[in-house]
Amino acid sequence: MVTVRMTVNGVAHEGRCEPRKLLVDFIREDLGLTGTHIGCEHGICGACTIMFNGEAARSCIMLAVQADGAELGTVEGLMRDGKLHPLQEAFRDHHGLQCGFCTPGMLMTALDLLRTNPTPSEREIREGISAVLCRCTGYQGIVNAVRAAAPILASER
Amino acid sequence: MKPPKFEYHAPKTLDEAVAALGRYGGDAKVLAGGQSLMPLLNFRLARPAALIDLNRIASLAYIREQDGQVRLGAMTRQRTIEFSPVVAQRLPLLKEATRWVGHLPIRTRGTIGGSIAHADPSAEYPAVLAALEGEVVARGAKGDRVIHAGDLFQTYLTTNLAPDEILTEVRLPVMPAGAGYALEEFARRHGDFAIVGIAAVVVRDGQRCKLARLATAGAGPVPVRLRAAEKILETEGLGDAAIEAAARKATELVEPDADIHASADYRRHLTGVLTKRALVRAIGVARG
Amino acid sequence: MGVNLPRLVGARVARREDPRLLTGQGSYVDDHRPARMLYAAFLRSPHAHARIARIDTSAALALPGVAAVLLGEDIARAAKPVRAESKTPSVKTTSFPPLALGKVRHVGEAVAMVAAESRYLAEDAAERIAVDYEPLPIVRNTDEALDPASPVLHEEAETNLLVAREFARGDVDGALAGAALVVRERFRFHRHTPVCMENRGCLADYATGTQTLTLRSSAQCPGLVRDVLTDLLGMPEHQVRVVANDVGGGFGAKASLYPEEIATCVMARRLGRPVKWIGDRREDLLSTTHAWDEVIDAELGVSRDGTIVGLRAQVTADIGAYSIYPWTAAIEPVQTISFLPGPYRMPTYRGRARGVATNKAPLGPYRGVGRPPAVFVIEGLMDRAARRLGIDPTEIRLRNFIRDEDFPYKSPSGIVWDKSSFTGSLLRAREALDYKAAREEQARARAAGRWIGIGVASYVELTGIGSAIPVSPGMPVSTGTEAATIRFDPAGKVTAVFGVASHGQGLETTLAQIVADEVGVPIEDVRVLQGDTEVSPYGTGTYASRSLVLAGGAAILAGRAVREKMLLIAGHLLEADPADITVVDGRCAVRGMPDRSVAVREVARAAYSGSRRLPKGLEPGLEATKFYDPYYGTASNATHLAVVEIDRATCEVKTLRYVVVEDCGRMVNPLIVDGQVHGGVAQGIGAALLEEIVYDDHGQLLSGTLMDYVVPSACELPTMEVHHLETPSPVTLGGFRGMGEGGTIGAPAAIANAVADALAPLGIEVAELPMSPERLFRLIGTRAGEKA
Repeated sequence: MVTVRMTVNGVAHEGRCEPRKLLVDFIREDLGLTGTHIGCEHGICGACTIMFNGEAARSCIMLAVQADGAELGTVEGLMRDGKLHPLQEAFRDHHGLQCGFCTPGMLMTALDLLRTNPTPSEREIREGISAVLCRCTGYQGIVNAVRAAAPILASER
Repeated sequence: MKPPKFEYHAPKTLDEAVAALGRYGGDAKVLAGGQSLMPLLNFRLARPAALIDLNRIASLAYIREQDGQVRLGAMTRQRTIEFSPVVAQRLPLLKEATRWVGHLPIRTRGTIGGSIAHADPSAEYPAVLAALEGEVVARGAKGDRVIHAGDLFQTYLTTNLAPDEILTEVRLPVMPAGAGYALEEFARRHGDFAIVGIAAVVVRDGQRCKLARLATAGAGPVPVRLRAAEKILETEGLGDAAIEAAARKATELVEPDADIHASADYRRHLTGVLTKRALVRAIGVARG
Repeated sequence: MGVNLPRLVGARVARREDPRLLTGQGSYVDDHRPARMLYAAFLRSPHAHARIARIDTSAALALPGVAAVLLGEDIARAAKPVRAESKTPSVKTTSFPPLALGKVRHVGEAVAMVAAESRYLAEDAAERIAVDYEPLPIVRNTDEALDPASPVLHEEAETNLLVAREFARGDVDGALAGAALVVRERFRFHRHTPVCMENRGCLADYATGTQTLTLRSSAQCPGLVRDVLTDLLGMPEHQVRVVANDVGGGFGAKASLYPEEIATCVMARRLGRPVKWIGDRREDLLSTTHAWDEVIDAELGVSRDGTIVGLRAQVTADIGAYSIYPWTAAIEPVQTISFLPGPYRMPTYRGRARGVATNKAPLGPYRGVGRPPAVFVIEGLMDRAARRLGIDPTEIRLRNFIRDEDFPYKSPSGIVWDKSSFTGSLLRAREALDYKAAREEQARARAAGRWIGIGVASYVELTGIGSAIPVSPGMPVSTGTEAATIRFDPAGKVTAVFGVASHGQGLETTLAQIVADEVGVPIEDVRVLQGDTEVSPYGTGTYASRSLVLAGGAAILAGRAVREKMLLIAGHLLEADPADITVVDGRCAVRGMPDRSVAVREVARAAYSGSRRLPKGLEPGLEATKFYDPYYGTASNATHLAVVEIDRATCEVKTLRYVVVEDCGRMVNPLIVDGQVHGGVAQGIGAALLEEIVYDDHGQLLSGTLMDYVVPSACELPTMEVHHLETPSPVTLGGFRGMGEGGTIGAPAAIANAVADALAPLGIEVAELPMSPERLFRLIGTRAGEKA
């Protein structure tokens, strides 16, 4: 067993787990943050994507122990003062989700995309969100949402 | 799909890592970015007695220019490479290839050392190492050694690294100024491993070809340098006929495998198609 | 009683589901962790076909943290055999043991179940279970399965031909013999799987104190699951609760009762502790029902002007190792032959279906069920006829569509199509694409050496079916009705409860829109509950493009009943005739006298205050429960137009434009209709170009990861241009037609036809899907070889 300490959405946490415990399981079970989802456990579907020290990473192929000392961001931390983040608003406005299962991973991935490329073309949006698989939306609502949110987020920087 | 039990070490120094690896007599695995190893662990296809996690060894991540080479610490993240000004200037082929490596979240964690040591036949970095005639440094119990690209890859997922050796540095010769380059890849889906990929470098002097390098991904168990195709260009120049001939020759130089995505014939065909496309693009970018 | 002008029905209302799903506050099965919960893992067969000689669980049980291991015999003692029955005599009934009994019949079949303190431990334990298998010869495909020398998978059936069915009309043999032209083809629609982003999973909790079983499941049909579970477990129905709150995609994959659900209930009952099983992606690809695996030999006879004289088809479906419960293995092949005639006047027809068992995972419903292959076939035949006759493919369809004057039209399988817009949708699609310009552009591109193709696919689907058309005849559960309970609380808010179970299609929102309009309150005052048999009125769930039609119809009936009573009470309070009162936005007002009004809130309070404030003799309360049975059902149709380009060198197909004109009757929420089309088309394009379940000669699943079963990402899909016609259904309340499956029904055919159109100058037809680059490479290479 190992002790792991990490900050998640600005809050410090501590836990104990086996070294083999996946980070996504630690987040979901030990921290009770079930917004991050498990879709494949082999790093392809992107549903488990979180922010790891400010950059999007797949938590199903990381060990919890690797997050010791790190700052994590999960979907639960996106709201601002009880209001939806502009990206979340855009997803709602543009029907960027249906069953909602890929959505947390999609949001974190889109945020990382927009931080590295604040004015993406449609092609660049599609390339960026191709990191996360969605079976419900055909991606159209998601592309529209990211396109709408981009200038709002860019103007905030 | 949860990993089996293993002992876990997260050494702070390279020497500790080598020592830890040595203690397990080949039954431990090095954990770098984890983007390849963790899925294997989750599927329980890999069952090492121990994991030696290199992620706490800060000294293994760097990008520096030295002696006409760009030297990258093995734990340098692919994401760092993607946005590195040094790489953009000195190794533009590596920067381009990085865009094809999975997706940005994979590149957040994936490393150059891990990708090369894992030696997936469809991966982009091994092909770039081969095309640029790079080398790697490995450290084992007996010390450091330098391994040239041509000697490193043995077969699928197998390098000539000894079980107690850790790949510590990747060295790539600075690309000649004005060199043309391209990585052309065909995959089922954006971000997937290449069904076939071709890394190309061209140094031109008008229509003459001073230097041509072509290396494959996905067209066999290891990256293949298409030397006979390179020679055609270096002898016959960069005109359409020479490009066609080089592309045709490329198809003769590979012995691809078949899987559910592509037959050997189709991979061979793609080798020719992508060689041509890579050359056309590389020549187009080349100055001279 | 006062006409209510719809204000919300038809509007693009933002979804009520979104706030919780966007903020990670969803309630999926795996989000629940009741106290003392154990985690389950299944040991699955590595063999495609083998006898089980011996199982030794001792090493597994010896691991600390392992609570129990169950085997097939344990399930057999605790539950009735799972046997999907059909009324059709030629559909054989066979057993589907939740844990293998004596024999395994496909790789991935569940053999043992472990419950332990963590999933990690459960997997450790499962690995320690020692099973002695005696391999049996493998039945690898339907040809082998039908060979009398091959082993029979289910001894009691004495054959691997488990399904046989035929629909016929008229003398099709004579018609084809005398036809001016007969086009024929052997079509192959390879095996696919739905890949919901949330894997299947369930959480069973047996409360010994109340003797109640609660099953939380990632399921589309909680009502149906409760019905069949209670029968199988021998429990009283009112002591079993099935809950499906948030479900991460269904698409038909989660419409059946699965072995794991039964086994988890048995385990939970045995241990008196909650037991949770969450499938992983490997298990999903191995054991979630597969789809559409058919070979179809078809012939279309036409006269010189392209008018259809007859269609003859033989469908052979590889239904895998087991007949799924409760739909039976017939569900896929029988739907194919039911819908092969498409939206066309079909004077003669014979469709024969066979369902053949092999050593692969069972086949089950997947978006469209039978119709994606059927439309691939009929639309492919229409194009072949058009090419041979030199008729434009859209023209030949217009000549054959069932016309306005033909409705209602009885199809050869007995389905009656009500007034639909087949012609209208194709004309509008041509206009939306600017078909003429697209053909001109194609000609220019062809001259420049590019392979551009335009493909059309028109289809009609049966939706919103009522009790007259059972999904599977002989099923123990009726699928023909849904119900709605609409209840005011004394503070004037409305709770509307349904037996459907949304898993992405936004029913929480669309049903709220309908209720709000019917009852006359703002949508914010309506809360929709669903997917929980504890609170729902009787219903089955969400599948078969029926929820909006049936639950929406029930909502209208219940809403009317509630409004009627509301008006009686309001009339009493306002001393006015109820017929003179309108309800709008939460106020009841006398028509023409806006200051003579009372808030709905007040009416509700009065309803619960008792006789003092009510009209004489009126029972207190303000709620109603109504059931709706559309009886037959209705039709939904669309035309898809795809423009593709084939990369001549790599043989990759890129979709350049994709136009859909669909008619789902009266739309409740266009945002959601668009989303359903997008998602359906995406799965259809994936099916046509990328996705394929592949087994090797040893029955091993080669497409066992998401790298090998390739579902499209955002880069592999076009922007879809979706247009709507609204021909209200003449036979359903509200005029709604179901439409959730349509995108997947039309897209494979549209893509196939576009690819064939691109290759027409080479004389290459598309008869197989997916048309992967590899397949196209071989097709073109063969043809190039022939030409040389």
